[in-house]
Amino acid sequence: MAVLEQTPPAVAKPSPTQPKKGWRKYWHLYAAISPFYLLFLAFGLFPVGFSLYLSFHRWDGLGTMEWAGLSQYQYLLSDTDFWNSIGNTIIIWALATFPMIFLAMVTAVMLNSAVRFKSLYRVAYFLPNVTSVVAIAIVFGSIFATNNGVVNAVLRGVGLDQVAWLNTPWGIKVTIAALMTWQWTGYNAIIFLAGLQTIPSDLYEAARMDGAGPVQTFFRITLPLLRPTLLFVLVVSTVTGLQSFSEPQVLLQTTTNDSTFAGGPGHSGQTMVLYFFQQTFDNNDFGYGAAVAWGIFLVVVLFSIINWRLVQRRGE
Amino acid sequence: MRLSRRGLLRAGLAGTAATALGGLATGCAVPTGSTGRNMVLWYWSGGLSDTVVKNAKARYDSAVDLQAIQIGGQYRSKLITTITGQAHIPDIAGLKGEDMASYLPNADQFIDLRTLGAEKYKSRYLTWKWDQGIADDGTMVGFPIDCGPVAHFYQYQVFRRAGLPYEPDDVSKELNTWEKFFDAGEQLGRRVSGAKLLTDVNSVYDNVVNQGSKRYVDKDRHFIGDQEHVRRAWDLAVEAKRRGIVSDLVTGTPDQLSAVQDGKLPSQLGASWATFDLKNGVPKTEGKWRIAQMPVRPSNNGGSFLSITKACREPEQAFEIIAWMLNAANQAQGYVDAGLFPSTPASFGLKQLQEPDDFFGGQVTTDIFGPAAERITVAYNSPYDTALGQPIKDEIKNVGVLGKDPKNAWSDAMSKCRRIAKHLGVSY
Repeated sequence: MAVLEQTPPAVAKPSPTQPKKGWRKYWHLYAAISPFYLLFLAFGLFPVGFSLYLSFHRWDGLGTMEWAGLSQYQYLLSDTDFWNSIGNTIIIWALATFPMIFLAMVTAVMLNSAVRFKSLYRVAYFLPNVTSVVAIAIVFGSIFATNNGVVNAVLRGVGLDQVAWLNTPWGIKVTIAALMTWQWTGYNAIIFLAGLQTIPSDLYEAARMDGAGPVQTFFRITLPLLRPTLLFVLVVSTVTGLQSFSEPQVLLQTTTNDSTFAGGPGHSGQTMVLYFFQQTFDNNDFGYGAAVAWGIFLVVVLFSIINWRLVQRRGE
Repeated sequence: MRLSRRGLLRAGLAGTAATALGGLATGCAVPTGSTGRNMVLWYWSGGLSDTVVKNAKARYDSAVDLQAIQIGGQYRSKLITTITGQAHIPDIAGLKGEDMASYLPNADQFIDLRTLGAEKYKSRYLTWKWDQGIADDGTMVGFPIDCGPVAHFYQYQVFRRAGLPYEPDDVSKELNTWEKFFDAGEQLGRRVSGAKLLTDVNSVYDNVVNQGSKRYVDKDRHFIGDQEHVRRAWDLAVEAKRRGIVSDLVTGTPDQLSAVQDGKLPSQLGASWATFDLKNGVPKTEGKWRIAQMPVRPSNNGGSFLSITKACREPEQAFEIIAWMLNAANQAQGYVDAGLFPSTPASFGLKQLQEPDDFFGGQVTTDIFGPAAERITVAYNSPYDTALGQPIKDEIKNVGVLGKDPKNAWSDAMSKCRRIAKHLGVSY
């Protein structure tokens, strides 16, 4: 606003003090946007920079820091537990994300064609996403309990063997993935619904005129036009999925004696972020914890690049 | 004066900036300790008796303004953050027992309580507990709050039905070795269908390690987790698995609680504070339990300390307060309010600790925990203990839960320990 009201300086006589003048002229604009940058500087950039610095040191969190050079990173590369946690994270992410996207899409199509109680359904589907993960994990712990859980009761009911969900490597992963699916399906269905509503209805009319059935319409019109939304959902799920922490932590914690970051038997549910917490706060190995955090960062970057390539290719 | 939108914006911005700057300025001048009459005490919910805290506030009101703050969430992280940040450090800080290994190497952040005359209180406290608060260089960092003597909790009727000793004295006397304890487990399994003696192999492994006088890393920063004392705990845990006396359940899960309630898991080796877990977790079992001594000898699990930080400006006053808060009478109050088992043997005979407990069929639990507390031996707890104990605990869990071959599990644990030891600079 202030900018618009100023007459632009005459082009004919450029003054050498102009940049300073400009800075002075616009200070209140800079001031207006400064809160974000100041807060980001203190609580975003500084910790990031400090963790990089920390990753080249040995530190117990209280005493003096010792220079460690690249040794933390060398150890990181050879640390089978870290690689195991990357594998766990990706498997859990895949087990959660693909069913979730499918279910979310189906839900969205159904919501889109629902006639009655539209808003009620939308709120109901969104609810899991704003529920505390800790509360959900406790409930899921009961649902997937071996002897008294609902899931095993159903399995026994149809004549199948029960599964020790929270005591076997795959059971643990499936349970965590089920929790994440349940939590995110509704949220993504709402996103898909928004995407669906941007598709002009005349396209559907034209398709109907050309004699396309509902299945053909879905695959030829809805799906292609929903691609940007699909990619958005995929990116968001990747970011949240790679950071999964509370879900396995609460689901698999047992007694106070046990590490709450171990991720169950065989570390089967130990995600990258859980491993980071274990190294940092159980072992007080803050330097190595920082190196693990940067390792996680690289994995996330890698996935971001894959996502970005997907977007690029689709865009062409 | 004309009030333009621009003017308002400017005024608003200037105001915000001034506030922000003001905030920064005060931020730079944060007090690093007590100022004037203020005396700040940090503890966690259930870490001290609320009654005692309130009484201390009133008692020392003429001298200081005692501000006792319950810190929620990750207590240790918050404490070391303020200490490292050199701002708003409490004068008196509670230290959890499991964190002591990480505080003691940084004893210079705390005031040596010996310089404040702590020695003269020593005889009133459990010796092993007192020693746990002392760093390698002799600095006394922590003043004892409570301790966690471990005992054997069992269900009277189930033991009776299984033909096992069922009166506390008999159980203590007859199940006094692991061998006899395991035999009892086998007999229990034969006589009571589906019953297991213990929840998992880790409850054998951890308790045997805790009974010992050595753990995973010694004072010279040498890994000793491959030695006889750990090996024996491992073998006993494997034996418990082989003889089928442990369940495949996980402690604290709905499955485990229902098995406990149904008398399918009639025995537990738990610390004094585990009585509260039982009362909350399986309230319907009231009256069914009794407590006896655990096999071989008692061990300790838990228990915390109070410390005075370097930032404290009136250490003498602070020490007077903590010594009063943790005297025998107040520790007895701590037991009533928060289940903190006293580290002062003089408390054991007080009325508060001699109340019969209906949950344990009217037994006076102090009759077991008190003598247990006095017979405990503890091991040196290295700051590297958690990191180097974890792989072994993980692998014994794999044996117990996933049915991994014990030989492979042990060699996997050792190779992982070797790797971690090298990383942490611990000699192997």
